Amino acid sequence: MRAHRHPAARVALGLLIPILLLALWQAQAEVGGARALAFVPLASIAAAFAELAASGQLLTDAVTTTSRALTGLVLGASAGVLLGIAMGLFRSVDRLIGPLYHAIRQVPLLGWLPLIGLWVGNGEAAKLLIVGLAAFYPTVLNTYEGIVHAERRNTDVGALFGFSRAQLLRHVLLPGALPLILTGLSQAIAFAWIATIGTELLLGAGAGLGATMSLAQAQQRMDVILVAIAITGLIGFTLNTLFARLRGHLLRWQPAIA
Amino acid sequence: MNVTTLFDTPAAASPPIDGALTIAGLSKDFTVGGRSLPVLDGIDLVVRPGEFVSIVGPSGCGKSTLLRLVAGLDTDFAGEIRLDGKRITGTDLDRGLIFQDHRLFPWMTLEENVGLALLNSSIPKAQRARIVAEHIALLNLAGFEKAYPHQLSGGMAQRGAIARALVTEPKLLLLDEPLGALDALTRIHVQTELQRIWLRQRSTMLMVTHDVEEAVYLSDRVIIMGAKPGRIRRIVDIDLPHPRERSLPQLHRLRDEILAELIQPVPTPGEPENLVRLPVREAM
Repeated sequence: MRAHRHPAARVALGLLIPILLLALWQAQAEVGGARALAFVPLASIAAAFAELAASGQLLTDAVTTTSRALTGLVLGASAGVLLGIAMGLFRSVDRLIGPLYHAIRQVPLLGWLPLIGLWVGNGEAAKLLIVGLAAFYPTVLNTYEGIVHAERRNTDVGALFGFSRAQLLRHVLLPGALPLILTGLSQAIAFAWIATIGTELLLGAGAGLGATMSLAQAQQRMDVILVAIAITGLIGFTLNTLFARLRGHLLRWQPAIA
Repeated sequence: MNVTTLFDTPAAASPPIDGALTIAGLSKDFTVGGRSLPVLDGIDLVVRPGEFVSIVGPSGCGKSTLLRLVAGLDTDFAGEIRLDGKRITGTDLDRGLIFQDHRLFPWMTLEENVGLALLNSSIPKAQRARIVAEHIALLNLAGFEKAYPHQLSGGMAQRGAIARALVTEPKLLLLDEPLGALDALTRIHVQTELQRIWLRQRSTMLMVTHDVEEAVYLSDRVIIMGAKPGRIRRIVDIDLPHPRERSLPQLHRLRDEILAELIQPVPTPGEPENLVRLPVREAM
């Protein structure tokens, strides 16, 4: 068995480069002068972390941002799956909405910010709308592809056993599309997380990791920014890992790729 | 094994009365590149209830298409197909179809796959689990109920497909090269099982195969089809009792006779017949 197959060895290997980067960081900080402003010493970052954690702000920010991301994700992804199914099942819906969807998809999300600000202001609704859209796009596309490219070999079997359209959808089309739907969802999670931080940065105000970053920038608190960045990365990584587990469970019927 | 011996003896059932297939004047065209191409031309065939009929013929003679039409998966054809006098206009649980690949849904366990066939059957829900278990046992798959298709060997998956096709107790079972993808040894095993099951269920069987020996071993009649367009060239009676011994000299003679017929070039109108004839093996 090769060394990195061992779980502990694998974790150690994954931590190798981050630790090297941190060492490099600390070295830069100790050079002093202008460098020290950009490369805050690790000790200061740890102090800022302790300060934010003690005041409860860090927890509030993390919870606010995570629940905002998940709310947007659930709204956007469920709308996306439903539209993807409708477009995949009914050619009329595909013809009616498909071109519009593909055109709108080309506009970067942040491009909508001014318009959305005008329509719904820059409060919670605007943030959720952006996050929801970020989750919506990849879900529609992948669900649609999964339904449309259902294999004839499977639909024939459904026909033989006299499945109705609803039975075909439930027992053949949806399970067949599940791998692609889950691919869409994992993209949606990544995009929703990025969009959440982005809208918080741009629309500021209130709690949230992005809002804290934005405020810290105005106050020139580099240490606080770095704490917020680290927590953002950590939560994003956790969400991804959890979803990968769920995906593995839902697709346990697939032969192992290894 | 218990199950095997239980079903080994042919049931002393009265001859089946259901499952009479009548095909009359059946023709089917495919449109290829804007041109109409005849695939089947004037097929007439009567299959008696409980009869085992095999179809052999060169690739492209339309034998798989014929099965799809009888199954009701394709309803665009000229002529008539009737099962027990009832005109076929689509799929129905009174007909089952087994494909060359098992086509079990990969996202369901064996048990769920077999059970799903009963989704629209009139069998009461309370009895379904028992019937599914019985059919899994009938195909010697007991113990693999919770296995996903990718965990089964090719032969086991195909037996699972046979269990799924039988669970609705179709009057007519269509088999489209059901054993074509199996290795030689597994194929012989599943052939023996097919014969055993057929002797027990006595549903009508219509099987397409490339394996003439398999056709002769299992069938009451073998239909030899010709290509371009697909039509029936000859029907060979295999007038031997079931279950049969593979080593019967009569079977070998019939196999050679059918092979000879298949190898023989058929003069097609417009084509010269001055082709070199390959020597045909002598009948043993």
